[in-house]
Amino acid sequence: MIFDSMNEWLSKAGYFSLTLLIVTIYGLFVGALIERIIAKVQGRIGIPYSQPFINILKNFFKRTAISHGIMFYLGPVFRIAGGIGTLAFIPVIYGNEMFSNFSTAGDLFLVIYFMFFGQLGMALGAGESGHPYSAIGIARGLSQMTAYEVPFALAVISIVIQYDTLSLTEIVAAQQGGWQNWTVITNWVATLAAMLALLGMTGYSPFDIFLAPQEIPIGPPTEFHSAYLSLLQTNRALFGATKLILFMNLFFGGATGWGELMIKTFLIYMVAIIVGVAFPRFRVDQAIRFFFKIPTLIGVMSIIYAQMLLTA
Amino acid sequence: MNMLTDIPISLIVLCSGLGLILIGMWGMLTQRNIIRMIIGFSLMDTGIHMVMVSIGYVTGGTAPIINDAVPIADAVNRVVDPVPSALVLTAIVIGLGVTAVMLAFAVRIFKARNTLNIDECTESKW
Amino acid sequence: MVTATITDLLLHPLGIYVLALGAGFLIPLFDRAHRGSAILVFLLALACMVGIAGFNLFGIINGATAIDIETAGIKPPFSINLRFGLLEGGIVLAVNTAALLGAWHYLPRLKEHASALLLYLILVMGINGMVMTRDLFNLFIFIEITSIATYALIGMERSGSVLAAGFKYIVATSIASAFFLLGTIFIYYQTGTLNIDDIIANQELISGPIGFIATLFVLTGLLIELKPYPANGWGLDVYETASTGIASLISVGVSAGMFFAVYKLLPLAGDFLHSIAFIGGLTFLFSNIIGLKQDNTKRLLGYSSIGQIGLLTLAMALLAQLDSQVDIQSQMYLIVGGLFVNHLFAKAGLFWLAGLVKSSSIRGWSVISKRRGMLLLLGIMMTALVGLPPFPGFWAKWELVMLLASNDMFGWISLILLGSLLEAAYLFRWFSYAQQSVADDEQAEIPVSFWQPLPVAIAVLLLFATSYVMAAVMQVASPELYLPLVAGFALWLIDGVHGRYKNLPMLVAVAIGGYLLTKDLDGINSLFSYLLIGGGLLVSIAALYRKDDRKGFYPLLAVLLLSLATLLRAQSSLEFFFSWELMTLSSYLLITLGRDGAKPALSYLLFSLGSAYLIFAGFAVAYGATGSLLLSSLGNSGESMTMIFSLLAAGFIIKMGGFGFHIWLPDAYAEADDDFTALLSSVVSKAGVFGLVIIAAQLGVRSDIGLDPAYVLGWIGILTATFGALMAVFQEDLKRLLAYSSMGQLGYIVTGVALMSHLGWVSAMYMTVNHFLFKGILLLSAAGIILRTNQRLMYKMGGLIKNMPFTFTFTMIAIIAMSGVPPLTGYGGKWMMFNALMDKGWYWIAALAFFSSAIAFLYMFRLLQTVFLGQRKLEHHELREAPAILLIPQGVMIACIMVVSAYPKLLLDPLSAAIDPWIANTLVWEGTAMVTNFGYWNAPMIMGVVGGVWMVPLILLLLISLTLKIQKVEQFNIVFAAERPRRPEETHYAYNFFAHYDRAIGFLVRPRATAFWNTIVEWSHTTASSLRIFYNGNGQTYALFVVMYFVAMFLLNGGLAL
Repeated sequence: MIFDSMNEWLSKAGYFSLTLLIVTIYGLFVGALIERIIAKVQGRIGIPYSQPFINILKNFFKRTAISHGIMFYLGPVFRIAGGIGTLAFIPVIYGNEMFSNFSTAGDLFLVIYFMFFGQLGMALGAGESGHPYSAIGIARGLSQMTAYEVPFALAVISIVIQYDTLSLTEIVAAQQGGWQNWTVITNWVATLAAMLALLGMTGYSPFDIFLAPQEIPIGPPTEFHSAYLSLLQTNRALFGATKLILFMNLFFGGATGWGELMIKTFLIYMVAIIVGVAFPRFRVDQAIRFFFKIPTLIGVMSIIYAQMLLTA
Repeated sequence: MNMLTDIPISLIVLCSGLGLILIGMWGMLTQRNIIRMIIGFSLMDTGIHMVMVSIGYVTGGTAPIINDAVPIADAVNRVVDPVPSALVLTAIVIGLGVTAVMLAFAVRIFKARNTLNIDECTESKW
Repeated sequence: MVTATITDLLLHPLGIYVLALGAGFLIPLFDRAHRGSAILVFLLALACMVGIAGFNLFGIINGATAIDIETAGIKPPFSINLRFGLLEGGIVLAVNTAALLGAWHYLPRLKEHASALLLYLILVMGINGMVMTRDLFNLFIFIEITSIATYALIGMERSGSVLAAGFKYIVATSIASAFFLLGTIFIYYQTGTLNIDDIIANQELISGPIGFIATLFVLTGLLIELKPYPANGWGLDVYETASTGIASLISVGVSAGMFFAVYKLLPLAGDFLHSIAFIGGLTFLFSNIIGLKQDNTKRLLGYSSIGQIGLLTLAMALLAQLDSQVDIQSQMYLIVGGLFVNHLFAKAGLFWLAGLVKSSSIRGWSVISKRRGMLLLLGIMMTALVGLPPFPGFWAKWELVMLLASNDMFGWISLILLGSLLEAAYLFRWFSYAQQSVADDEQAEIPVSFWQPLPVAIAVLLLFATSYVMAAVMQVASPELYLPLVAGFALWLIDGVHGRYKNLPMLVAVAIGGYLLTKDLDGINSLFSYLLIGGGLLVSIAALYRKDDRKGFYPLLAVLLLSLATLLRAQSSLEFFFSWELMTLSSYLLITLGRDGAKPALSYLLFSLGSAYLIFAGFAVAYGATGSLLLSSLGNSGESMTMIFSLLAAGFIIKMGGFGFHIWLPDAYAEADDDFTALLSSVVSKAGVFGLVIIAAQLGVRSDIGLDPAYVLGWIGILTATFGALMAVFQEDLKRLLAYSSMGQLGYIVTGVALMSHLGWVSAMYMTVNHFLFKGILLLSAAGIILRTNQRLMYKMGGLIKNMPFTFTFTMIAIIAMSGVPPLTGYGGKWMMFNALMDKGWYWIAALAFFSSAIAFLYMFRLLQTVFLGQRKLEHHELREAPAILLIPQGVMIACIMVVSAYPKLLLDPLSAAIDPWIANTLVWEGTAMVTNFGYWNAPMIMGVVGGVWMVPLILLLLISLTLKIQKVEQFNIVFAAERPRRPEETHYAYNFFAHYDRAIGFLVRPRATAFWNTIVEWSHTTASSLRIFYNGNGQTYALFVVMYFVAMFLLNGGLAL
C-alpha cells in the first residue's frame, strides 16, 4: 500500500520533472525569441538563442558570492519554489495524465494564491539585502499587483460562473471541440479583462517601472548575483511560461499537445510584447489608477455577462 | 340691596387673594432688588392665605363651636369650616419662616457682594 | 412582655421624629458644655434613626403589617396619620443611611455651628416625614420644614456665589410650594378631606375646572421640586456652589422625599401621567446631553442628578400607566427601587468624593491618579450610575426595558438607552481625566486621610449588597454568574504583592474557573470555550514578561476571561448581557492601564456601550415578541426577527470594529498594554464573533427571512475587510497596523457568518481559529519588539532579523498564515469562503474579497520589511531576542498552525460537527481532500508538493554553496548608486512606504469615519449649548421658568379645553 503510493508519488514527480524541464527550456527559448523580434523591430540583430542559457550557466558557476543573511540566502529558493510549485498545480496538457502534474492537490484558486508564495519569499530575501532600491521595487510591484489583481479576479469569477467549476481540468474540458468553444469566444469580456491584467502581470512596458530593466539596477533582484541570480533568471523564464499556460488553459482552450501549447502561449505572450514596444512606461500610481478604471469596468461587465450567459 | 352686597364676602376675599398672588408673583419676577422680591413673596404668601380662608367660609356662618346655638345636625350648613382656618395659621407661620430666611439671605448677600441686585448674582450658569 | 412593649415603643417609627426633635433641643444644651458632646448626640440620633428604620423594615419584611401612626387620638381621615410600610421603610432606611454617611463626610463643616447639626437633623426628619405622611397638608409642612432647613444650611456658607444660588433656590421652590399649597386647598374644597387615602378613594369628587387646577397645582408643585428641564437652573446653581455635604443631601435625600410624595399622589394623576412621563424623559435626555459640555465637577454631578431623577420619574409614570397589568407592584419595587438606591448611593458617593478632591474642574482630577483607592471608588460609583453590572441600576434598567418592550413602548426604550449612553460619555470622560497621571513634581498632594473616603466605601458595599438582593429577587443570582467578580476580588486582595508572579494565581484561577464554567457546554459554545478560555490562558502566559507590579491588571484580566466563560454558558439574554457588560467593563479598565490608555479607552467604552445598548434593544424586542428571555427562543419571534437580527448584529459588529464604527479600534489596540493588545485582538474580539454566530444560528437559519439582513451583513463584513486592509497599509505605527489588520480580518469572518450556509460558517469558524493563532503570534512578537526597541514606529526599526531571529521566523510564518498563501492555514479559510460565496452567488463580495486580500499583502510585507529587514539602526546592534516567555506561547501557536495546515481535517471535523445541528452538513471529503460544488482542496498534498518544490532548489543551492565561497558582508556593503551609505537612516526605505499607493487611491481612506464621529460630537455639543441657554444664572429667569412650567403643564394637559 505504502509502496504503491510511494511509487505513484515517484512517478508523478518524475513526470513533473519532465514537464518542468520542457517548460523551463521553452520559457528561456521564447525569451530569446522575443528579444530577437524586438531587436528586429528596432533594427538591431539581437541576441543569439543560446544567450539566456549561457547567462544562467555563467552565473551559476561564478566562483564568489556574498550573503547578507539567511533570508537573503533563502529568497531565491522561495522564488523558484513558487515558480515550480505554480506549474506543479496546473495541468499542462489536456487529456494527458502524464502532464497533469499535481493538479489534484487543488484548483484554480490554489494556483492564483500560490503565485504569491514566490513573490513574498523573494521580497523578503531582497529586503534583507538592505538595499533601498530593492524595497522600493517591491513596494511598487506589490502595489501594482493589487491593482491588476482586480480585473483578473473579476475575470476569474466570471469564468467560474460560466463553467460552474474551479477545476482547471474541467475548465479546459469545457472548451474542447473547436475554437468556437474557447472562452475567448464564449466569454470575450472576461478574456479582455484578463488580458489587460496580463499586461501588468508580465511586467513589460507600460507596467515595468517596478523592475525598470533599462536603467540603473533597481527592483527586487538588485543585490542578487551569481548562483542566486541564476536561480532567479531560471524562474523568470519558468514562471513567465507558467502564467501563459494558465491563461491558455483559462481562455484559449488549453492544449492537447506540446506543440499547441507552445504556439498558443507564444501568441498570448506576443500581446504583451506588442503593447510593450508600442507604449511608454506608466508611473506606479498611474498604472494603479489605470487598472482601476477601464479594466475593472470590463471585469465588472464580464460578471454581468457571465450571469446573462447562465440565464440564457 | 345694592350690587356689592349680593356678592358673597368669600368671593371678594378669594378674588383679592388671587389678585395678591399675581401681584406678588409679578413682583418676584420683575423687581431686581432682592428686598422687593421678598416683599413680592410676602404678598404672594398673603394672597394664598386669603384664598385659603375664603375657601372655608360659609356666608353668614358662625364660629365653628358646637354648642347650644349650633346643633350638630345643622353644623355643616351653619358654621365656617374650621380646617382652612387651622391650616392658614400653620401656613402663616411657615411663610414667616421662609420670609425670615430670605431676609437673612438678603443681609448676607449684601455683606458678601455689596449689592442687592439679583442681576448681579449670575456667576454660576450654564 | 413588658420589655417587648418597651422595645416596641423605643423602636417605633415615631421615634425618628422624637429623636430628631429631642436631639434638636439637646444639641444646644450640650453645646454649651462641650461641642464634642453635641456632636456625639447628633451622630447618635442619626444612627438611631437608621436603626429604627432598619428594625421596623426588617419586621415588615418578615411579615409584620405596615405600621400606622395616628395622632390626636382620632382615627384618620379626621386626623393626621403617618405610615411605615415596606416602601416607606425601604426609602427611609436608605435615606437615613445616606444621611448618616453624609454626616460623616460633612462633619468638618457641620461642627462649626451647633445649629448646623440641628438643622441637619431637622432636614433628615423632614424627609422622613415627607415619605411617611398620609396627609396632604402635613406633606406641605414637611416639605417646608425640609426646605427651610435646606435654605438655612445653604445660608451657613458665607461666599457670595453660594448665597446667590441659595436665594435663587428659595425663590423657585417657594413659588412651587405656593402652588402646591393652593392645589391642596382646592382639593380640600372639593373632597372635604386632606387624608391622601381618603382623597384617592373619593377621587371622583375632584372634577371640573377647579379639580383640574387643583390636581395640576399639587402635582406640578411637587414635580418642580424634582427639577424638571428646563425649570431647574436654581437647582443646578446650588449643586454647583453649595458644599458637597448639603448638595449630596439635596440630590439624594430631598429628591427622594419629593419623589415619594409624587409617587403617593400618582393615583390622582390620571391623564397627567403622560405629561409626567414626557417631562421625566425630556429631563433625563436633555440633562445628559448638556452634561457633555460641562467641566465643572459639581455642576456635572448636578446634571447627572437631575437626569437620574428624570429617569426615575419617567419609569414611575410609565409603570403607573401599565397599572392594569398583574404584578406591576413588584416590578415597581424592583425598577424604581433599584434605580433609586443606585442613584442614592452612587450620586451621594460621587458628591462626597468631589468634596474630598476639591477640584472644581473635572480636568483637575488627575491629582488622584496615583491614589488607586480613590480612583477605584470613583470608577465604581460611575459604573453604578451608568447602570453597568453588577450594580442595582443594571437590574433595574433591564427590568424596565423588558417591561416597556413587552408593552411595545420602543420609543421610550431608545430614549432611555440614548440617555444612558450620553451619561456614560460624560462620566467616563471625567474618569479618564482622573486617570491621567501627571508628572510627579506637578502632583499636588491632596490631604485626604484614610478615614475620609470611608462613607464612599460603605456606599459601595451597600450598592453591591443591594445588587445581590435584586439579582436574587430576579432569580439570576447564581454563583456561576458572579464567579468572575469573586475571582477578581480574590486576586485583588493579593494585588499588593510585588512582581510578575501574581500572574500565576490568575492563570490558575481562570483555568479552574473556566473549566468549571464551561465543562458542560457542547456544540458551538464548547468550541468557543476552547478558543476563548484555552486561547486566553495561552496568551496570558506571556504577561509574565513584564516585571513590574501592574496594579490591577491581573484581577481585571481574571474578570475579563471568566466573564467570557459566563458569556458562553448564558442561557438567557439577561445572563448574556450581564456577562457582556462585565466583559466590556473589564476590558475597558484594562485598556486604561496602558501607556496613554485613558483617552482611547474612553472611545472604546463608548462604542462598546453603544453596541451593548443595541444588543440590549435587540433582546428587548425579542422579549416583547416572545415573552421569553431564553436565547433559544429568539427564533420564535416571528415578524420581529429582522429587527432583532439587525439590532443584535449591529451591536456585535460595532464591538468587532465594523466598517464605519471602527474608529475606536486602532487607538485602543495601540495604547493598551502590548500583551493585552494580543489578548484583545486574538481572544476578546472573538466574543463578537460568538455573538454573531449565536444569533445567526438562532435567528438566521430557522426562517427564510435571513436573506436580506444577511446580505447587508455580508457587505459590511467585506467592506470592513477592504478598508481595514487599506488603512493598515498606510500606518507607520506597528500596533496600529496590526489593529487595522485585525479589523480587516474580522471582516472576512463577518462575511463568512453572513453566508448562512454550512460551508460559510465552517469557513468563518476556521478563520476565527486562524485569526486567533496568527494575530496572537503577531501581537506577542510586537510586544517583544517594542520591549527591546522601546519604539512603535516601524521606520525607526529595521534589520532586527539579526537580533531576533525567532521573533522574525514566527512573525513570518504568522504572516503567511494570515495572507492565505498556500500551504499554511490562511489558504483554507479563503478557499472555503470563496467557494461559499460563489455557491451563494455573492460575486461582488467575492471580487472584493480577492481585492482586499491582495491589499493585505502590502501591509504584511511592509511589516516584515521595515521592522526585520533593510538596514539595522546603529543603536539596535546590541538588542537581544525577545524574552523566552513571550516566545513560548508563540511557538505553541506556530505548532498549531503547522498541524492544522497539514491536516485541516483535525480542525474542520469538530467545527462541522458543531454546526451540523443548525445547518445540514455539506462538506464532502474524498480522502484527505475536501470537495465542493466548484473545486477541491487537498491540504496534505499541497503541503507535500510545496515542501518538495521548496527543498529541491534549497538542496541545489546548498550544494553550490559547498563549492562556492559565500562571504558574509558588512551592513553597508551594497551597490548603492556607486556610493557606500554611512547611516542606516539614509538607506532604510521605510517611512511612507506606499507613498505611490497613497497618491493613487489614498483618497479612499482619508479619515471620513473619524470626521463623521467628530461631527457627531460637535453636533451634540452644539445641541448642549442651545439646550442650556435657559441657565443664564439669573434667579428671576429661573423663577419665570417655574411659572411657565405650570403654564406648559396646563396647556399640555388640555387646560384650554376647559
